[in-house]
Amino acid sequence: MDLDDRVKLAIYGHFADTGCRPAPPEVAARAGVGVAEVLDAYPRLRARRLLVLEEDGSSVRMAPPFSGVPTQHAVVSGDTRYFANCAWDALGIPAALHRSGVVHSRCEESGEALRLEVGRGGPGPSPWLFHCLVPAALWWDDIVFT
Amino acid sequence: MLFFRSEERVREWCAVHGHPVRPLVSMDQLWTLAASWYATRLQAESHRPGPAEMRAIFAGLGLAGGFWEPRSDAFGSP
Repeated sequence: MDLDDRVKLAIYGHFADTGCRPAPPEVAARAGVGVAEVLDAYPRLRARRLLVLEEDGSSVRMAPPFSGVPTQHAVVSGDTRYFANCAWDALGIPAALHRSGVVHSRCEESGEALRLEVGRGGPGPSPWLFHCLVPAALWWDDIVFT
Repeated sequence: MLFFRSEERVREWCAVHGHPVRPLVSMDQLWTLAASWYATRLQAESHRPGPAEMRAIFAGLGLAGGFWEPRSDAFGSP
């Protein structure tokens, strides 16, 4: 496995285990490499659409579907609470974990609470809808807004 | 990328904020999108779907039209 994949798995593994973003030393320890190598790998993982960093260049904002910061889309699976970057990623967390979970979010217009149980095969019947303003071609122009 | 309780709520929100109403996606469709993107994300060989894969996934769900065209979603540039 090459360096970038080791760093990627370390980041994603930390999120999966804890629900929280890892600091570079935690990624380094988990990947078995140095912090400098971790920071070198970050821009390459960004180019592969696997990582979004804060402006400091070292704090993980997104490792999709996981969010490094609290959002309005929370997912509880087992004893762990995760934050998702968006509605799509809220369902992406149970999909990535291969575990059931409960999505807690809201209707953006009315504020009505959404509680959606998601099994390993997906959610049960639900009338709720997903809506995205940004066309697919532009998603990564400003992925935080998307 | 947001949740809404109903189509009426989407239309109301778009009208208030001056946004266009985009294609509506059901929870079943969203699950397929999420699983297609992320089911292998915790594995070493995983990758985000590229444009050709995206087109196939969208087409399989009946999500057609220019909104879903990823042609300029270029890869390889930070």
